[in-house]
Amino acid sequence: MKRVPLVVGALALLLVLGVLIGVALGPVKIDAHRLISAILLHGDSADHVLIWDLRMPRVVAALLVGSCLGVAGCLLQSATRNPIGDPQLFGLGGGAAIVQALAMAGLLRMGAWGLVVLSVVASLVGAGAIALFASRQGMSPARLALIGISLSALAAAAATGILAEARVFSQQSLNFVGGSFVNRGWRDLLPALPFFGIGLVLALPVVGKLNALALGDRLSANLGAEPIRTRAVAIASSGILGGAAVAVAGLVGFVGLMVPHLARLLVGHDIRTVFIVSIPLGAVITLYADQVARLVFVPSEIPVGLVTALVGAPLMIYVARRVL
Amino acid sequence: MILTMEALSFVRQGRAILSNATAVISDHALTCLVGPNAAGKTTLLRILSGELRATSGRFLVGNTDASALSQREIARYFSIIPQGVQPPPHLTVSELVALGRFPPNRALWWRLSEQDREVIHACLARCQIEQLSKQRVEDLSGGEQQRAWLAFGLAQGKTFLLLDETLDGLDIFAKRSFFQLLKEVASEGEGVLLTTHDLDLVTNFADRVVVLSSGRVSYEGPPNLNLQHLFFPASSRD
Repeated sequence: MKRVPLVVGALALLLVLGVLIGVALGPVKIDAHRLISAILLHGDSADHVLIWDLRMPRVVAALLVGSCLGVAGCLLQSATRNPIGDPQLFGLGGGAAIVQALAMAGLLRMGAWGLVVLSVVASLVGAGAIALFASRQGMSPARLALIGISLSALAAAAATGILAEARVFSQQSLNFVGGSFVNRGWRDLLPALPFFGIGLVLALPVVGKLNALALGDRLSANLGAEPIRTRAVAIASSGILGGAAVAVAGLVGFVGLMVPHLARLLVGHDIRTVFIVSIPLGAVITLYADQVARLVFVPSEIPVGLVTALVGAPLMIYVARRVL
Repeated sequence: MILTMEALSFVRQGRAILSNATAVISDHALTCLVGPNAAGKTTLLRILSGELRATSGRFLVGNTDASALSQREIARYFSIIPQGVQPPPHLTVSELVALGRFPPNRALWWRLSEQDREVIHACLARCQIEQLSKQRVEDLSGGEQQRAWLAFGLAQGKTFLLLDETLDGLDIFAKRSFFQLLKEVASEGEGVLLTTHDLDLVTNFADRVVVLSSGRVSYEGPPNLNLQHLFFPASSRD
């Protein structure tokens, strides 16, 4: 608990630095003087457009999606008592992926707000299924993981099938499947913001109770933690956050999985602190991953999910061998 | 305070698990619930803890009809320690006992008060595991783990402790030591209800015994007679 302010402070510094990198660096070079002018002064200059309409929304999108996925993973892992709880591995993002694939294929025509709402609703359907299975007596974490992964694989197959059938341009498909913030503007971003707030606010009353849930349903019920209700709310919140994240950036892998584990390594196992730290930690990881994705192979880019996988895979192997 | 069970019955899929179970459990006493497998012992404890609703009958805590209360309200009276609980791998003994002080209504802003810390320390001392407080629960021996769970139950400060076959898998020395501890805990105030198969230890340590057989209470009283006889009626012996 004592380390939380230190960790949050360090993450805040990293965030500021990451935001600066995100707006200052890119294929178009811009010096410090022009950067400050573009940030502070209004106008229609090319620099202003570059910073405020191209780079800044992309930075904010990375922060938002990272926070959503980090918190969603924290809630899902705690609510299902499963170390591989991840909104995408467990199929929560699957419904949203199908919605996005349908939109990319031109089979679903609606505005950005409509798409985000539909993605969140579809994600909540997956969340409902997981909450239902998780509340069944005798449902072990391993069996729940099998069900979640099956749902996820099914949804991924459906989304891929839709994209293939519609012959969606391969780079666009790749960016969706691997997750990407290319060309994300305020228009794509703003509809997801309320769901970020709703997901967080919904989770707040149950976060503390998730600590008691770690003892199992019988004991947590005896402690007054209402395990079925607590789990349902936490998974629903995870679904809302996961759906909003998919709507903005596609399937960014590993963030929801690794952020809670990394947070536990940093601040211990109290779920309240893991929850709090997962917000900036998810944002930092995703923001820096996006900087690597867009800057290392300039002028081309790679999906951000490739970078998060490069970071996440070794971390998860370490966690599996040394921590779990 | 007295826990009174009045004709508790529980039927699942047409099969009577409990039939008119009637018994009295008091605080300041170690009561052992014995009986063969599938006699209904665990079901009775799950009814008392509010997990299951009796098909008929009721139970009272003092003058309160607890069977009409919600599970959360019933939980005010009973701490349960189920069999085969796997603690989270990271949890230390003091963290486990601290969870016994968990206040669901202010879970988000929960900080241990000075009073909470005193209670936790006292419970660790009562269970003689103060020196293990920083160790992970899963690293303890079976007997030490049971003491940690007991301290967790005690920290909740409830009137009755319900322990469901928590001694399974322990050697005779650990069991004996744990029975001794339960006896001390009961003498200090809590009502302890323990389901077990260890009839010799029950005879030596229990204040009262309730024998369940095929869902019925076949004996209730002090452990001063041949329990084997009640466990294995003449027709099934030999």
